[in-house]
Amino acid sequence: MDAVQALVANIQGLSSAGDISHLHVVLKQAPDSLYAESTRLLPVLDQLDPSKHSLGYLYILEACSSGSVSKEQGSALVLPIATFINSCDTEQIRLAPDKFLSVCKRFKDQVMVLEEPLRGVAPMLTAIRKIQTSSEHLTSLHPEFLLLCLLSKCYKAGLSILGDDIFEVDQPRDLFLYCYYGGMICIGQKRFQKALELLHNVVTAPMTVINAIAVEAYKKYILASLIHHGQFSTSLPKYTSSVAQRNLKNFCQPYIELANSYSTGKIEELETCVQKYKEKFENDNNLGLVKQVISSMYKRNIQRLTQTYLTLSLQDIANSVQLNSAKEAEMHVLQMIQDGEIFATINQKDGMVRFLEDPEQYKTCQMIEHIDSSIQRIMALSRKLTAMDENISSDALFLGKVGRERQRFDFDDFDTVPQKFNI
Amino acid sequence: MDFSLLSEALTSKSYEKVADICDEQMLQVAAKGVAFQDDWPYAIHLLGHIYAGDINSMRFLWKSMPATVKEGNPEVIAAWKIGQKLWVRDYGGVYEAIRGYDWSQEAQGLVAAFSDLYTKNMFQLLQSAYSTISIQDTALFLGMSEDDATTFVQQQGWAVDPASQMLTVKKQPIVTKQKLDARKLQNLTEYVFHLEH
Repeated sequence: MDAVQALVANIQGLSSAGDISHLHVVLKQAPDSLYAESTRLLPVLDQLDPSKHSLGYLYILEACSSGSVSKEQGSALVLPIATFINSCDTEQIRLAPDKFLSVCKRFKDQVMVLEEPLRGVAPMLTAIRKIQTSSEHLTSLHPEFLLLCLLSKCYKAGLSILGDDIFEVDQPRDLFLYCYYGGMICIGQKRFQKALELLHNVVTAPMTVINAIAVEAYKKYILASLIHHGQFSTSLPKYTSSVAQRNLKNFCQPYIELANSYSTGKIEELETCVQKYKEKFENDNNLGLVKQVISSMYKRNIQRLTQTYLTLSLQDIANSVQLNSAKEAEMHVLQMIQDGEIFATINQKDGMVRFLEDPEQYKTCQMIEHIDSSIQRIMALSRKLTAMDENISSDALFLGKVGRERQRFDFDDFDTVPQKFNI
Repeated sequence: MDFSLLSEALTSKSYEKVADICDEQMLQVAAKGVAFQDDWPYAIHLLGHIYAGDINSMRFLWKSMPATVKEGNPEVIAAWKIGQKLWVRDYGGVYEAIRGYDWSQEAQGLVAAFSDLYTKNMFQLLQSAYSTISIQDTALFLGMSEDDATTFVQQQGWAVDPASQMLTVKKQPIVTKQKLDARKLQNLTEYVFHLEH
């Protein structure tokens, strides 16, 4: 019996005996040369059941898919991997998470090579749910999944994981990409609030050098902020890394200028600015968003009128926000009422609009429910923060560092000659 | 491909489920590597999104379709037309798009249900957004003839001014069920108490 067959026999025997930990040792100790024979290993998979022999199947699958694989070999792997992800046993694959992640990444690469990203969406979601330890855990498969959703235009499928609050991250890059792709998906679904939250996470995440993901995220953040809030503030929160604080704006100058021209409230100025940088926006694949920025300005200007007037004629609205006719103004106002962006009634007979107060009186059951759930969330977050704080303050490394620094400061206190003199 | 779930939803008129069923099934079929594009019920899938009011997903579905379907399948094109009108908020155009095609048997029920739902929503919109509105516009928004529209809104208590051809909208007081859950109130009370002490 050759080595490969012996390994298969071991996998079958130990898996049915339920001695997975022993099997894991055997698999780990198998010589590398065994796994290098990828062409001979692929047929072996037929002898194994992905749901019962998951760990062994995973090792062999990983060996088949790692290294350089020709296009034909690669496409032959797509289906077995998809089936494996669907039927594998969660406990067994969690013994070798690295192997599982590498197989899944290979799978994603292959469906991209085939230009069929749709094939990967469902298996990748299953893979995430199987490998993550809790819904708060961000795996390196999260960004891959979102990328597949974007490429296959399954934005709705992508939303399913974006609702989870993340507290645990393996690699910083995963978080950057997850938030960036997530932001794009939310923008596509017109959920600007959530998109802003995700993109904001990218921009303000700790970083020691500036990276391309953060720059692109910042561009989209500026545009989404203009569309959703009608304004943009260049000041970033204090906890933002100093690299981002210093550099981001320099990389996004056209976008900053766009935001400045938006703040004038004049549609011509905005359009001139868009024309000036049209090519730039197009190359960044942001022209669609920029167009949404332009149309949001009409809305913003109408909204501004509601703060000043109680009633206004449609013609006056058209004049002051630079629309062509009273009818066009009416349609804009109607749309905004439909979307709940303003509260008003249109009187067609007199050609007037009456602006109203927000009818929400915060006394419905729904509202109470909403307030209650918000408070619950904040309380959970605060508990989490306290736990984290306690964790850090009892961490030996942290205490060691703090202890050393305190000593140094104490020493400085007695040092009457400041160090700046030794130039 | 197994469309039993979908046909069940269609026959039981659970149209709100159609989009989700199609989405899920498409992902599953694609994962198995089946070339499904040629006999996928794209028209129903599009209409499902339209019925659910998810115009964004409808648009992305259209973008992901193979060109042969986009050009060659008249029902898909007709469904897309409804979506387009909704997207640009051409309120009257939606009805034209609905009436402009002779829908297949499977799609008929779904389209008719959407049409009713859309009229209902439009009526709600007019009621909340207008105090007076011309008969002509009302007919356009509701997708009815002027006479039908006038009779319809009069039943809802609107008044007609024949001289100016204007309708005066009667606002319906919004009645929301106020079943107070004592426990919720208790919770809020405790929060406030906690914050003040």
